[in-house]
Amino acid sequence: MSGSKKMVYMSLLVAGGVALHLVESLIPVPFPVPGAKLGLANIISLLAIVLYGTREGLQVNVLRCLIGATLGGSMSSLLYSLAGAISSTIMMGMIFKHFKNVFSLVGVSIIGSVTHNIAQVTVASIVLSTFGLYSYLPFLMVVGLFTGIFTGLAAIYAREKLIVNLRLLDVMEKRR
Amino acid sequence: MLTRGDKILIALILVFAMAIFTGFQIYGFSGEKTYAVIEVNGKEYQKISLGKDGPKLQLKVPGAMGDLVLEVDRYRVRVLSSDCPDKDCIRQGWASRPGQALVCLPNRVVVKIVNNKSSGELDGVSF
Repeated sequence: MSGSKKMVYMSLLVAGGVALHLVESLIPVPFPVPGAKLGLANIISLLAIVLYGTREGLQVNVLRCLIGATLGGSMSSLLYSLAGAISSTIMMGMIFKHFKNVFSLVGVSIIGSVTHNIAQVTVASIVLSTFGLYSYLPFLMVVGLFTGIFTGLAAIYAREKLIVNLRLLDVMEKRR
Repeated sequence: MLTRGDKILIALILVFAMAIFTGFQIYGFSGEKTYAVIEVNGKEYQKISLGKDGPKLQLKVPGAMGDLVLEVDRYRVRVLSSDCPDKDCIRQGWASRPGQALVCLPNRVVVKIVNNKSSGELDGVSF
């Protein structure tokens, strides 16, 4: 796949991620846990990792966070989401690269969302300078577990369709 | 869809979350001391440190209408008896967590539970 084509696909992923990021902020969270969210944009970062690799996943995710925060968010939420996004993408990329046959995408996604939670709580406790926030981590982890399963399943289905489409495009390209 | 690794991972995370939760429930926040600050008529009357090695005592506090007897039970405080007309302060029961308070309005007695870190400060600021 040529460079500019890859860039176009990656920017499509970023656009999808921004859309999911904004849609997600409209969905009320049914849990009585502030800070818990669905993590829909994680589907996109998982796809970027699966289709292109960890570096590209990181690029897509950081861009998604920056654009998402400028369109609908605040500076403090950017801080939290950037820390969570960077650490969880690196973690997911490493797990996907080295433990592909141990975990399915669901497992990778769970690890990503739990890493995201830990990073966010760490940043929050640095910002608020209280260690006590870690007592809140178990609740976030359990919620993150279920949202991780959900986003993982969504990524699996999306990948099946996307890979077919990408292959089709490549075939058409060669015929031309 | 789920591999064996996934299932083990889910179980591990659940166990880990439970472990952190019970750890915090048992040990609380280390390094934080809680105090019961007794105020009469807006002025600090006495400060008692609470916790596992806190005192077990009954304390007579002179209020505006009469005496108020507080019971301190290591980590918690309650109003045992009071010379006020409606005894609302007794019905408040035990107070043990920082931020809780026992108030006897007719006697002008307030017992605040505070800890050494967050007393008088904001919990957090979001901007």
